[in-house]
Amino acid sequence: MNHFPETWGRPRDDVYGPYNHGYLQAPAPNQHTQSPIVTGTSVVAIKFKDGVVIATDNLASYGSLARFTDVKRLRKFNERTVIGFGGDISDMQHLDRLLNSLSIKENYQHDATDEEDTDGFSADNVHTYLSKVMYARRTKFDPLWNHMLVAGLDSDDEPFLASVDLLGTTFSSPSLATGYGAHLAQPIMRKVVPDEDAVDQVTEEQAVKVIKECMKVLFYRDARSLDNYSIAVIKKEGVNLKLDEKLENQSWQFAERIRGYGTQVN
Amino acid sequence: MWLVSSSWVWLMCAKLLVARLATRKSLLPQRLKLQSYDLSNSVFSPDGRNFQVEYAVKAVENGGTAIGIRCKDGVVLALEKLVSSKLLKPGANKRIATVDRHVGAVTSGLVPDGRHFVSRAREESSSWRNMYKSPIPVSTLANRMGAYVQAYTMYNSVRPFGITAIVGGWDSEAEHEVDGQVGVGPSTGAGGKVEGEKHGGPFLYMIEPSGSYWGYYGAATGKGRQAAKSELEKLELSGNKLSLEEGVKAAAKIIYIAHEDSKDKEFELEMTWVSSLSGPTKGRHEEVPKALREEAERIAKKSLDEGDEDDAKMEE
Amino acid sequence: MFRNNYDNDAITFSPQGRIFQVEYAQEAVKQGSVVVGVVSKTHAVLAALKRNAEELSSYQKKVIPIDSHFGIALAGLASDARVLSNFMKQQALASRLTYARAIPLSEIVSRIGDKAQVNTQIYSKRPYGVGLLIAGVDSRGPHLYEFQPSGVTQEMVACGIGARSQMARTYLERNLEVFADASREELIKHALRALKESMSQDKELTVDNTSVGIAGVGEDFVLYEGQDIAEWLDASFDSRGQTEGEGMDVDS
Repeated sequence: MNHFPETWGRPRDDVYGPYNHGYLQAPAPNQHTQSPIVTGTSVVAIKFKDGVVIATDNLASYGSLARFTDVKRLRKFNERTVIGFGGDISDMQHLDRLLNSLSIKENYQHDATDEEDTDGFSADNVHTYLSKVMYARRTKFDPLWNHMLVAGLDSDDEPFLASVDLLGTTFSSPSLATGYGAHLAQPIMRKVVPDEDAVDQVTEEQAVKVIKECMKVLFYRDARSLDNYSIAVIKKEGVNLKLDEKLENQSWQFAERIRGYGTQVN
Repeated sequence: MWLVSSSWVWLMCAKLLVARLATRKSLLPQRLKLQSYDLSNSVFSPDGRNFQVEYAVKAVENGGTAIGIRCKDGVVLALEKLVSSKLLKPGANKRIATVDRHVGAVTSGLVPDGRHFVSRAREESSSWRNMYKSPIPVSTLANRMGAYVQAYTMYNSVRPFGITAIVGGWDSEAEHEVDGQVGVGPSTGAGGKVEGEKHGGPFLYMIEPSGSYWGYYGAATGKGRQAAKSELEKLELSGNKLSLEEGVKAAAKIIYIAHEDSKDKEFELEMTWVSSLSGPTKGRHEEVPKALREEAERIAKKSLDEGDEDDAKMEE
Repeated sequence: MFRNNYDNDAITFSPQGRIFQVEYAQEAVKQGSVVVGVVSKTHAVLAALKRNAEELSSYQKKVIPIDSHFGIALAGLASDARVLSNFMKQQALASRLTYARAIPLSEIVSRIGDKAQVNTQIYSKRPYGVGLLIAGVDSRGPHLYEFQPSGVTQEMVACGIGARSQMARTYLERNLEVFADASREELIKHALRALKESMSQDKELTVDNTSVGIAGVGEDFVLYEGQDIAEWLDASFDSRGQTEGEGMDVDS
């Protein structure tokens, strides 16, 4: 035995040859998730004068395979908050469990039967919470691969809409869309609400109409989308969440004019 | 002669001394018993008792009466909350706690110990959900809490809980929504369930300072437990016939009857319930709505007054 | 030294089911100078009597603001109160950070209650020797809570703890009905008058020995001391202006 503690308990060099110290060392740095596996596509949402409308389709894709067609990607947190999830589905389920746990804890103190339930979480509280969760995970270089929209009412009962992504980045706007929707739906919604002031002029019907229009455009042009979708309207009166809607009045005539790939190369 | 008498005196003194010592010696075992067997937790007396646990039970016996009734379609918890000061905010300071969405708990005895019990129960329920993605069965919760309370009788570094807890809840009769509301799940239903077998239902347990617990049709603890127990027995709960709403009214009446002995003190009636998924609370543990509670209280007071009148007539 | 065999530690029940060490800790609260709290539909007020060790020393802290929406008043061991107030500050800040929300008072109060209970069930610990009044406003409006060394926490309409506080509580009980609809100024007046009730006859409330903390709907918790409370003191005790006037007459 010698006086180097790191060699104690190791095979003796003079008997077994020099010890290979590389044996237990990792060949490469630790790696966490590098990409999502089963994914949901866009989430779209728009504010109107009394609240917010939010929608997602019901598809979970495995690569380009439409793997699950009945997935609910809108989650009601309480009577004034709905969260729309884009990105990895299993990470969404993990977040759903976190939110469930949070909601149970919230209801220890504040009874559901209480007439004036003004004390529970507002949409902005939920959004802040999610942003901290997402940022904490990305700081560990192990992000939850999602992009979420939080829609609802804030503590003053004003319409609230904000996004969080896998980096913990937060953003707020009168209309928001994630994924493909950021490119295809956002311009359509911005025509209706170019800025915060315009929100007061928009009725619920107008907002729902433009969201449905967006879902249709997304189904036309996004190969990872579905014509089955969920839509929620959040107002003072509460949440109206529909989970099994179907796109109406589709017209695929435009498709005939598409040239450049598939069978019609030129 | 002087020598003799002095030696006689000496003898008398010695005898007295021995006698004194003897009496002190006879006192000794008693003092020892007091000093060692009931001053430390986790120590048995020679006849096999754990005094500290028995004293903890005494703390419960002074608390406001708490009861639980297991009805056919739900569970009712009720508490006689004694108002110790006029300065307390009326209607605040709720003492029946929600442990998980489907479980409630009420304790009698040292109020802060009750809060400790409840927060541990919440941790158990929450960790069960994390592990199994489903709500904790009430029986499992009672078992875990029994074990937790028992542990506090085992070590001399802690004291037992000065409470008796009544835990009531509804185990869902439906398929669990795995991961909350995300996805509709398999359309054929989960495996492992026997066809035609009854699943879920109302459950009620009472956990004592010793850590022992039993399932109950009707449970009562606290100061007025004797009166409450005899009233509960009249309900014939084992027949599984009492409806939840009848249970609420019975609970209110029992608390009012149990309060008769400490009539000089004011109290507030606190009541919660948990029903089946098709019932009024949809499987959740909630406060009994104000209107129903007040109705139940009105009936309870009325029947008490009538009882008094009957007594008066009998005397005539 | 001890009154009986059962009061050596906080984890031994007496044959009657009492825990003497906890009861003795409650006595420590009664050694502290008196503090009073009152709530209306719109405001929560704390008033405290500060003691100084000697003429030339400063006065002890009795009211501690915790977050912008609430503060505490203490009676008993001030160092124990500091442990609890630091804990409350951390918890209040954590709520603001993770949820962007002012922590509900019921929540923070139950957290210190749970913390105190643990100290009454483990041999290596001792109960806190301090009582607190927690007053402030959250999204459900103004609140006042009382905290005791046993871990008992109760929401109150009005409350007084500390030396001779029974007199203050008697005053509060007599005026209980008017608090709910009282204005901000009236509420302060009641708090100061209740405080005065608990003092010995030869003592007066002065700008030096009185603290007032106020929170209201849309109004942050603010601690008032010194000249800021002079007007309230004058308004609360009518006789004061007169005696001073008489004194002047004699001089001339």
